[in-house]
Amino acid sequence: MSELGNYFRKMRGGAKSPPRVGLGEMAWSFLGALVGISLLAYINYHLLRGTGLVLILGSFGASALLIYGAIKTPFAQPRNLVGGHILSALIGVTAYKLIPGHLWLASGLAVAASIAAMHATRTAHPPGSATALIAVMGDEKITGLGYFYAVMPVGAGVLILLAVALIINNISKTRRYPESWF
Amino acid sequence: MAEKEKTYPAPGPPLDISDDDIFAAMAEIPGYLDITPDDFKEVYLLALRHAVNRLRRSLKAKDVMTRDVAWVSPDTPLAEVAELMARREVSGVPVVAQGKVVGIISEKDFLSRMGAEEIKNFMSVVAQCLKEKGCKALPIRGQTAGDIMAAPAVTVAEDTLVADIARIFNEKKINRAPVIDARGRLTGIVARGDIVRLSSLP
Repeated sequence: MSELGNYFRKMRGGAKSPPRVGLGEMAWSFLGALVGISLLAYINYHLLRGTGLVLILGSFGASALLIYGAIKTPFAQPRNLVGGHILSALIGVTAYKLIPGHLWLASGLAVAASIAAMHATRTAHPPGSATALIAVMGDEKITGLGYFYAVMPVGAGVLILLAVALIINNISKTRRYPESWF
Repeated sequence: MAEKEKTYPAPGPPLDISDDDIFAAMAEIPGYLDITPDDFKEVYLLALRHAVNRLRRSLKAKDVMTRDVAWVSPDTPLAEVAELMARREVSGVPVVAQGKVVGIISEKDFLSRMGAEEIKNFMSVVAQCLKEKGCKALPIRGQTAGDIMAAPAVTVAEDTLVADIARIFNEKKINRAPVIDARGRLTGIVARGDIVRLSSLP
């Protein structure tokens, strides 16, 4: 009985949440995301128009928060950003190819396997799991790419986001990126 | 004795760091730290324990020894030796000749020579004193430190690790060891109590 009580007591939380960041951090986060995502979107919507190639992906929006807005966290380091996205992309495409007739199961497996694989390779990057899911639930423009999906939009996209992060995140004297490469 | 005021190089910072301390520290660091104050506290306390253990393992004789050592010469009469040990409240003193430690005298060395029968500890002396008339210090009356000291004494260097001293104490079944410098001069003494006290640090 007390075990059950303990089980529910754990749901109360009770730990204090971290403090709000300063205005400077908000401004630099905003600038980094604005430049990084706008650049990808410009290439995607203008330079690549009519080529059938894609460079922008929903999961990049989530990556933007980490690599421009939470640059100290392990999730935001280059190993995690690049490794997490590309590994998850490969896993997502594989899930789609293995069970194309059961998208519900392919979706679950893609995300679950990407989480486990990222943990195993120390490349945990939460948006990576979205990248895996998009490989299954995306439209034909995405699923038609096959494994090229991991090269573009995923590989090319994250490298451009990373380059912007290196440039923007090191301008301020109080910011430094990355904490570690590998 | 001087060792009561002794401080050690590895005193832990206070263990009861508060959530507010951590919250304030996190607010001072620019940028978003992806950790809750509670998690940080857990990391801090575990890291602190590792640090204390690491420092404790690196402690040397010179860090814990008593520097103001009571010592005697080989020709010091035993009555004076006993008086000195009583006054300084110690249970053993090094015997020093020409600046070198030549032996050590402990309560045990007195006890083992104080009676006709085999004497193991202080209570066997008390028992003999109570059963018979008069006490048994007589056999060693008139003798000097050099006559009953244990020689050679087990000594340690100033840089001997406390962990190694503890092992020596156990192996040799001794309770104290004079500390000598590179030239063999007495610079301090480490007793069992000095080592036990380390374990009461956080």
